[in-house]
Amino acid sequence: MKRIACYAALTAVSLFPCLPALAQDYSGRTLVVGTWGGDIERLLREHVAGPLETKTGAKVEFLLGGSGDRMSKMVAERNNPTMDVTFQNIYEAPAALKEGLVVAPDAALVPTAANVWAGMNDGCYAMSLVGLGIAYSKALFPEAPEWADLWKAEFKGKMAYAPYPSSEGDGMLAVAARIAGVNEHDPDAAFAKLAELGAPVLSYSSLDEVFTLMDAGEIAAAPMISGYVLSNLGNYEGIGFVFPKDPGPVLVRDMVCQVANSPEPELAQMFIDLALSVETQTAYAKELNFGPTNSKVELTEEEAGRVINTPEEVASLLQLDWSYVIEQRSDWTDRWNKQILGQ
Amino acid sequence: MKQTPDIKPTATALLVAPAAILMFGVFVLPFLFLVVLSFWSQVPGSVGIVPGFTLANYARIIGDGYYLGGLWTTLWLSGLVTLLCLVLALPLARWIVLYAKRSKGLLIGLCILPLVCGALLPTLGLVNLLSPLGFINGALKSMGLIKTSLPLLGNIAGVSIGLVQAFLPLMILPLISTIERIPHDYEKAAMSLGATRLVVWRRVLLPLMLPGIVAGSLLVFCASLTAFVTPQILGQGKVVTFASLAYQQAAMVLDWPFASALGMVMLLFLALAGLLGALVSRGLGRRT
Amino acid sequence: MTSRFSKAMLLAAVLAILLFLLAPILVLILSAFDSGNVFRFPPRGLSLRWFEAAFNHSEYRSSLWISTVLGLLSTAIAVGLASLAAFGLVRGKPSYRLAMEVLLLAPLTLPLVVWAIALLSIYAQLGINGTLPGLILAHVTITMPFAARIMIATFGEIDPNLEAAAKSLGASPWQVVRRITLPLALPGLLSSTAIAFLVSFNDVVVTTLIAGAGWITFPVRTFSRLRTEGIDPTTIAIGAMIVAFTILVIVFGQRLFQLSRRL
Repeated sequence: MKRIACYAALTAVSLFPCLPALAQDYSGRTLVVGTWGGDIERLLREHVAGPLETKTGAKVEFLLGGSGDRMSKMVAERNNPTMDVTFQNIYEAPAALKEGLVVAPDAALVPTAANVWAGMNDGCYAMSLVGLGIAYSKALFPEAPEWADLWKAEFKGKMAYAPYPSSEGDGMLAVAARIAGVNEHDPDAAFAKLAELGAPVLSYSSLDEVFTLMDAGEIAAAPMISGYVLSNLGNYEGIGFVFPKDPGPVLVRDMVCQVANSPEPELAQMFIDLALSVETQTAYAKELNFGPTNSKVELTEEEAGRVINTPEEVASLLQLDWSYVIEQRSDWTDRWNKQILGQ
Repeated sequence: MKQTPDIKPTATALLVAPAAILMFGVFVLPFLFLVVLSFWSQVPGSVGIVPGFTLANYARIIGDGYYLGGLWTTLWLSGLVTLLCLVLALPLARWIVLYAKRSKGLLIGLCILPLVCGALLPTLGLVNLLSPLGFINGALKSMGLIKTSLPLLGNIAGVSIGLVQAFLPLMILPLISTIERIPHDYEKAAMSLGATRLVVWRRVLLPLMLPGIVAGSLLVFCASLTAFVTPQILGQGKVVTFASLAYQQAAMVLDWPFASALGMVMLLFLALAGLLGALVSRGLGRRT
Repeated sequence: MTSRFSKAMLLAAVLAILLFLLAPILVLILSAFDSGNVFRFPPRGLSLRWFEAAFNHSEYRSSLWISTVLGLLSTAIAVGLASLAAFGLVRGKPSYRLAMEVLLLAPLTLPLVVWAIALLSIYAQLGINGTLPGLILAHVTITMPFAARIMIATFGEIDPNLEAAAKSLGASPWQVVRRITLPLALPGLLSSTAIAFLVSFNDVVVTTLIAGAGWITFPVRTFSRLRTEGIDPTTIAIGAMIVAFTILVIVFGQRLFQLSRRL
């Protein structure tokens, strides 16, 4: 009996070193993630990079910049990519897939992707849901405005826009088209309608600048994406934010992509898996007001009220034909420069 | 008049070679790629590029008043900034050389200070100052000089103020070294011979300061031409410069062929201007 | 006009210009003490929280460190190469002088974003994209025009007769350089070093595209959240500290090395 116990003990001890090896050791390897700076980087470091580094021994490095810079990087580095994971916009992800710059979403490689609401993993994995709504000056709008209210004569020339091309700009064009009775497939009508709002007070490079002016009533309203605006409302008493109803807010989705032929595909998949996990997505919702794409996330009623987190809500949002919009990018940029900014 | 060199040609070539090789490899090679790229085209709405010679990009720039307008704005903005830098740098440089023997380092340091924490932060500070709600408008209003805020942002005024603050050191430093080399006595001598201050400046000082003025002006002009971050923020998207157009086309629309063509057109203008300048100065040189 | 009066007028102009130059810096320094959550001027309350945050934020520290190291390396190389080339062009008076000057000034004639994308493509073909040497080369290239122009002007103003005299007195070429040329060129060397460093330190567009992960510089980090979230007040506190540090360095440089006399 003692001998069997001895042998059993020896076998157990000799098997022990194998167990950590099953958790895969990536020490010495580096995963490169391209993302926006600020709170998103902070959350990703805390909830994704940190645990990943502990689990695998690899190091996670972040590349900061705008999504356009990352698209440029992916194309320029096509032969020798340095980025493994990149965060892109709703319209960039399908284009990137079409060009073969990213790996198609695959729940076999990234298990949590199966929990994402159906149809959202378009081009890349869907990371967050946000909506384009109206940030407005409470001084000028005692009640939260609808899109159509922005076209009232007293607000002409008092809008602010993000630099174009951007999802804010395209979203606003789609809204203008709908107000004019058509949709984004009729750019002439869309631009003409948007031009009625007058030249903007500014195309903002810095959020502080818009908000300071909006707080003081120098800017009436701006089409803005919900997440950060909601987080910032506490700092400015004179600013409100609303998801209009008719038409609804424009759906915008942040996507997370695995770059094709990148140095660390397995680590990339693990990263994305963690990014889509309930824990990370809940943090995004609570701290940044970015709606989770993971269907298993549970939020309090108050939190759910601020974010977009169910397919029903998504259905009520205005969804653009992004592949059409992307094709028009060069032409619409010209039109925006001349007809909207150049007034 | 060709002057005799002070060092042998082989020594010269060896001294110049490292910089030349570096610039050729890191700048000229990509530049040549850009030249070729400017004759290609982008697949609409995609990042794919279609190789194949076409003049469409150039036709679009030259035929479209918008782009030519952007070029014109860029050129005259840069000229304005250069002129303002010169006007502001001259008194500063003169003071530093003539009267500030002991605090020279401190004064030069103060001129450079706007840049040490990054060009971005002072620009944001400037936005705050020039804003319709900012200090300058507030001060003018409380003094009763204006009723409604002066638009100091989103136009040439704001952008040039920001660029002057950023590039003044580029003008001051060459001016200082040039002014230092002018013997004190020249000025006194000229005045003792009965010249008025204006004549002293026009006939004695400015010609002697010309090397420094030219060096500084060249740097400020070229730096203003390609400046992006400061004009973008201070211009609030309403001042169209070639740098912002190029960025929009290259990094946002991802139409690299067109962006390259924009760069080439600007370069062409500069080359023509440079040629013109060289001819003019040679003509002037022959006369004096 | 008495010379006292014109001197006073000049001083008044100088003070006004300095105020104009430094006004935004004053705004920054004061708003670094704001107690609020966002960049605001005038500050609504006073607090040191952003200075504390600056010390706790290791990412800003590392980005500052990276910016400094990158700046120093690029500047050393750029000023070194520019000085050699400038000396050669000015003293050697070769027939290709104008072409070479144009080559050295060339990066300033192109919007850098297009060049950076082309450079990145070439780097990718060579397999050196994302590396530090690649980034340094890019920074040397963008600072070279400034260093070269200043050094060409500097050597142009040094009287070659001084060097010739030393040589005729029996000095070796190396001694001439060490004892005559370099001391006379020192102000120019300092200027071009300072300006080249600042150009490298402040660059956003080129670095965003060319820098690999792990080489995120301070301005890239600061700019990356500007549109989506506005400026992080921690950055403003850091900026204020850099300004204070620079002033201290200058004042001490004055005292210890009598900087003004050497400039």
